[in-house]
Amino acid sequence: MKLVIDERRCKGCNLCTLVCPYRIFRPGKTPNRKGTIIPELDRPERCTNCRLRHLYGRTLCGMCQMICPDQAIRWEEEKPNEPHKVAIEY
Amino acid sequence: MTYQEWFREDRLPHIYCTGCGNGTVINCTLMAVDEMGWKKEDTAFISGIGCSSRAPGYIVTDSLHTTHGRALAFATGVKLGNPDLHVVVFTGDGDLAAIGGNHFIHACRRNIDLTVVCMNNQIYGMTGGQGSPTTPMGALSTTTPYGSAEPAFDLCELAMAAGANYVSRWTSYHVKELTRAVLTGMQTPGLSFIEALVQCPTNYGRRNKFKQVLDQVEFMRSHTVLIQKLKRMEEQGEKFPDPVIPVGEFVRRNRPALGVKV
Amino acid sequence: MTRTDFMQGNTACAEGALAAGCRFFGGYPITPSTEVAEHMARKLPKAGGVFIQMEDEIASMASIIGASWAGKRSMTATSGPGFSLMMENIGYAVMTETPCVVVNIQRGGPSTGQPTMSGQGDMMQCRFGSHGDYSVIALAPASVQEMFDLTAKAFNLSDRFRTPAFLMADEIIGHMREKLVIPDTVPMQGRKPLQQGVLPFHPDEDLVPGFPQFGKGYGVHVTGLTHDERGYPCATSPALHEELVKRLVNKIESHRDEIADYDVVNPDAETVFISYGVPARSVQQVLHDQKNPDVGHLRLKLVWPFPDSALRIFKNAKTFLVPELNLGQIAREVQRHTKNEVVMLPKLGGALHSPAELTTVLEGYL
Repeated sequence: MKLVIDERRCKGCNLCTLVCPYRIFRPGKTPNRKGTIIPELDRPERCTNCRLRHLYGRTLCGMCQMICPDQAIRWEEEKPNEPHKVAIEY
Repeated sequence: MTYQEWFREDRLPHIYCTGCGNGTVINCTLMAVDEMGWKKEDTAFISGIGCSSRAPGYIVTDSLHTTHGRALAFATGVKLGNPDLHVVVFTGDGDLAAIGGNHFIHACRRNIDLTVVCMNNQIYGMTGGQGSPTTPMGALSTTTPYGSAEPAFDLCELAMAAGANYVSRWTSYHVKELTRAVLTGMQTPGLSFIEALVQCPTNYGRRNKFKQVLDQVEFMRSHTVLIQKLKRMEEQGEKFPDPVIPVGEFVRRNRPALGVKV
Repeated sequence: MTRTDFMQGNTACAEGALAAGCRFFGGYPITPSTEVAEHMARKLPKAGGVFIQMEDEIASMASIIGASWAGKRSMTATSGPGFSLMMENIGYAVMTETPCVVVNIQRGGPSTGQPTMSGQGDMMQCRFGSHGDYSVIALAPASVQEMFDLTAKAFNLSDRFRTPAFLMADEIIGHMREKLVIPDTVPMQGRKPLQQGVLPFHPDEDLVPGFPQFGKGYGVHVTGLTHDERGYPCATSPALHEELVKRLVNKIESHRDEIADYDVVNPDAETVFISYGVPARSVQQVLHDQKNPDVGHLRLKLVWPFPDSALRIFKNAKTFLVPELNLGQIAREVQRHTKNEVVMLPKLGGALHSPAELTTVLEGYL
């Protein structure tokens, strides 16, 4: 699965940057068309929920989604042949 | 099913300001509702007036957005009119403790089977930042330009004294704990009161030295202490340095309740 | 089975509500309406309903609106000061099109006034008391039997037009004891449910939308804010607000003749009494004593929306005499609808116009 920030809903409060244990969310730098500075994703493939949700059959962690006051964070199924990076943790 | 399915997708994004904690509290409440396994047609959300009270408009169930302060009185009618409905009340500090104070204590006294989620942002947000009954002493607002000179209400103590069956307080930072508290409240028959402290960056934060959204959330994180720990410290003669926000479960009891589904 | 009883107006009102299927009563004690609540407290639980004594009249009004959305026919009873407290939520009931019945056993005002005396000073308040433009339905009983009949009728009108309906009685009728015939069944006209696939606030041809009761899966959002047909708030659109408020008014005003309810005596008379509520009884006595076909009587059982077409029944009328227990609230409404002379016969203080007083006035116009 992949982590997605819905640009139509995000208001740029950066609360997600506070709670992610992997620090995947980073405050953004450039405003989008609406003038909102959307947080950037730093190697989102490290997200536990992305990797292990199907294995466990339930939402893991999910703190960013819960705290997001604008319901802008969600996980999307990846397309079957979508190339994706493999995160190596040290 | 996940809690996202309880949102009226066509109404999002909601009207709350950037960084407002109300949206988080809605997430937590809907997560608890979802875990309860309630059906959408059996659930009703009721609210008064204010920022917090816009919440039911974003939820797909039957919802009643009522007059200022009267949410609990309307909810009493809905619940007693049809005890099969699960009734959740969203309210705010001004709505609940100022104009609706009388309805609040009487709903607690009757111990009617409702779940009341109070989003306490310590200010009147929708009207532009006036002082509320929960504005801390010394805090600045548009109607307390020299600092609030009145002591604030402790809503949880009030609910406990008035007789609610379940009372707890968390903040919009403590999403997991808040969800669990709302869930426990829903499972407890009788009136369950959950106070959720929320940040209001637009009207409270920027007047009270929380320049960024995260500053106020960080304050809530670092100044909250479990009520049990505070009591233990008190017994040992220690004192937690002020300001301190006691959080956790204040009371869970089994007083006779009204309107419980049989 | 039809039975005959001897009881107080307030009790008859409660009996009428029970017969009409009222199953929720939220109230607060206030003289002279308390007997309605007391009787409901005794009878409702046995009928499978809910009686609750709320913490004030604001909450009483709120609770019956809530119960109405939960699907119950609901009612509250109050008097002057309590009625003033209910105004905000009455406006809410109008805006959200919530059927409910409010009984006002009127007493002397303003303020605490004369708690144990009669008055009709709230007639304008019930029409215009809450803020904003709206229209309501108000009935005025003049006997214990009508306390029963009109209460039942108020529920039907309220459900039919999805609006609060008022029973504007007064202390004399409320506390008077008379013969009451309780019929086996009363006419029932329930709410029309919302059709599937129709937006919750989309009106039918009669301008009244179907009722999306809570707990039936409609998922309706009800708000006192200006809302569109989906029920979603949209408080900044001038066109939407105008359309909504006009519909709320027109759904009642365009049915004036259907709603109207009155008695006519001597329609060819030149001098006509117009009365509603308790002064009608003095007028009836005057007509009984006079036996003069030149004296007519229009007795309004329903005051709002004002049945102006009833005035035109009296084709030869030259003078309308309007006795009221206030300083001429409905007389002014009569003036608006006729070019004939309208004589206000106000009376304050709690006592009723005596037939002798009315006869003296009448003789000046014969």
